[in-house]
Amino acid sequence: MGGTKIERPSSLNKNSDLFEVAPAKRTRVLLETGLVMAAFLILVPVLAIYRVTEFMIFCIFVLSFDLLYGYMGRLSFGQMLYLGTGVYVSTLFSLHVNPNPVLTMLAGVLGGAIVAGLLGLIIVRLADASFALTNLAFNQVGFFLIGSAFQEVTHGEDGISSGVEPWGFLDFANEPVAFVFVLVCLLVTFYILKVLTNSPYGIIIRSIKEDESRVRFLGYSTFYYKWLTFVIAGGVAALAGTLYTLYIQFVSPVSIHPLSNVEVIFACLIGGAGNLYGALAGGVFFMTLKDNLATHIPEWEWILGILLLVIVFWLRRGLTGFATFLIGFLRQKIARGQPAEA
Amino acid sequence: MIHTIVYGFTIGAILYFIAIGLSVTFGMMRVINFAHTLTYTLGVYMLISLAALFKGYFVIAAMIAVIVVIPISYLIERYIIRRLYGESLDHTFIATFAVALIGVDTIKWIWGVSPYPLSDPIGKYLMFWGLTLPIYRIVIFMIAILLFIGLEFFFRKTIVGKIVVAALEDKDGVGCLGIDVDKYFSIVFMMGSALAALGGVLYAPISSVHPYMGLSILLLCFAVVIVGGMGNLRGTFVSAVTLGMVMAVTARYWSQGAETMVFIVMAIVLIFRPIDI
Repeated sequence: MGGTKIERPSSLNKNSDLFEVAPAKRTRVLLETGLVMAAFLILVPVLAIYRVTEFMIFCIFVLSFDLLYGYMGRLSFGQMLYLGTGVYVSTLFSLHVNPNPVLTMLAGVLGGAIVAGLLGLIIVRLADASFALTNLAFNQVGFFLIGSAFQEVTHGEDGISSGVEPWGFLDFANEPVAFVFVLVCLLVTFYILKVLTNSPYGIIIRSIKEDESRVRFLGYSTFYYKWLTFVIAGGVAALAGTLYTLYIQFVSPVSIHPLSNVEVIFACLIGGAGNLYGALAGGVFFMTLKDNLATHIPEWEWILGILLLVIVFWLRRGLTGFATFLIGFLRQKIARGQPAEA
Repeated sequence: MIHTIVYGFTIGAILYFIAIGLSVTFGMMRVINFAHTLTYTLGVYMLISLAALFKGYFVIAAMIAVIVVIPISYLIERYIIRRLYGESLDHTFIATFAVALIGVDTIKWIWGVSPYPLSDPIGKYLMFWGLTLPIYRIVIFMIAILLFIGLEFFFRKTIVGKIVVAALEDKDGVGCLGIDVDKYFSIVFMMGSALAALGGVLYAPISSVHPYMGLSILLLCFAVVIVGGMGNLRGTFVSAVTLGMVMAVTARYWSQGAETMVFIVMAIVLIFRPIDI
């Protein structure tokens, strides 16, 4: 095309700057990561250690969903597909290629990212409800492929045991080792996502959430950023999946079931979307709720449904949003010299 | 081969019944109604209870089942969806999904989880040229054709239909004429839900009945709406029949892969026709 070429600001021209964060902020992120670690360590004596391990795996999954929905504003109803891909790729890898846990993990994450990368080419061009439903449709296809079409390999509904063997000190049958390993995975994921969302890249994806066409006017290829975010989210979800494989050592198509998506959506929303702490809080909240309700009420999903309605109507910003609102409200009251209970 | 064609037409007809409500709801109000799965499933379970009541009178039971769903869909529209008009699609989507979740649990609570067997209510076969075709499937397709003609008539000749078609084009413009679009939307919403229930009632005897039956059919219908174009009424009919055919032909060679093939077709359509919704 003729005419003048629009130059982007030179500060954003180099791709390497895109993921950079000021050193001061980086230290802050490190500190925050430490706080998260402390919070989960405090949880251990409150709950049993194996429960906290499960909670943390689920939290990694919620983080992946939050990156897509909370930061980029794309509601995926099929995030279980990438979790399930991680689960099945790692399990099959450990059985047929190499039983080393670290290699298994890498294979699972890579598998999830590749699937997300291929499907993302189609999916990220959509938005809103068609994004959500297309994800759900692909998840259904994945569930079908795992559960019925490749039954000889995956053993369908019966599930399979993974072939992961201990490697050095890395033995997942040992609870504290598993706990520390999952905690490290969670903290690394948290740190990376925190840095990413604070970098210029994070600003771009948040701008896409607000108004995609304006971002395009600024000269950014929104497709590329959406695709990249989709792949990262897929990879992180697959990481959660591989940790399930390593920790639980038995997989079944439940781990890719399309209806389970509501769990991660609920966890993200109740915690507060667009906030990584919200994702963690929501993950812990949901797992606690599930553990306590499922043992008492067999059909407990309707409670989930009612809570979802409550969130959509009155609690859009989740628990963390509500907490910030409350703190701000109280502060304002105090600043005005009035008692908080007016 | 004739079998496959008849089966394709049957599935296409069922998809059309359910997809039309989805398509109009989206085209008019930009709402993706996940609770459509609920009205569909509810219709079927009503039929099961009523069929036991009206032994031998399948048609009466089916009609009552469809009518019973209408007030329930009104409640969903009035108290859930109407509160979320004009807001982000994600919220309506999550809210209607929550409704479906509550509804499915209620169904599990009332009717139990185990699948129900329902047999072909006609049970007779048409035999000609050495072929045997179940009459029921032909009846379904006949009903679909009648419905298509009826809806064409409704949307072209009646004042309600004309308002709806106009609102699909430009909702604000219709509102400026002093017409309360929301009221007409409410009517169309209930119609769509009743049609979904009708689809469920007709499909139940030739498929399996369980509380989660709505999910896979909704996804198929969504594929129909994507391929046919959101809010495009004729496109929905054409794509429903086409995808029904795709399912039937796939099922002939690989019975389990029928649904997957529909989504592959949808993906191909999405690659070549980017849509902004």
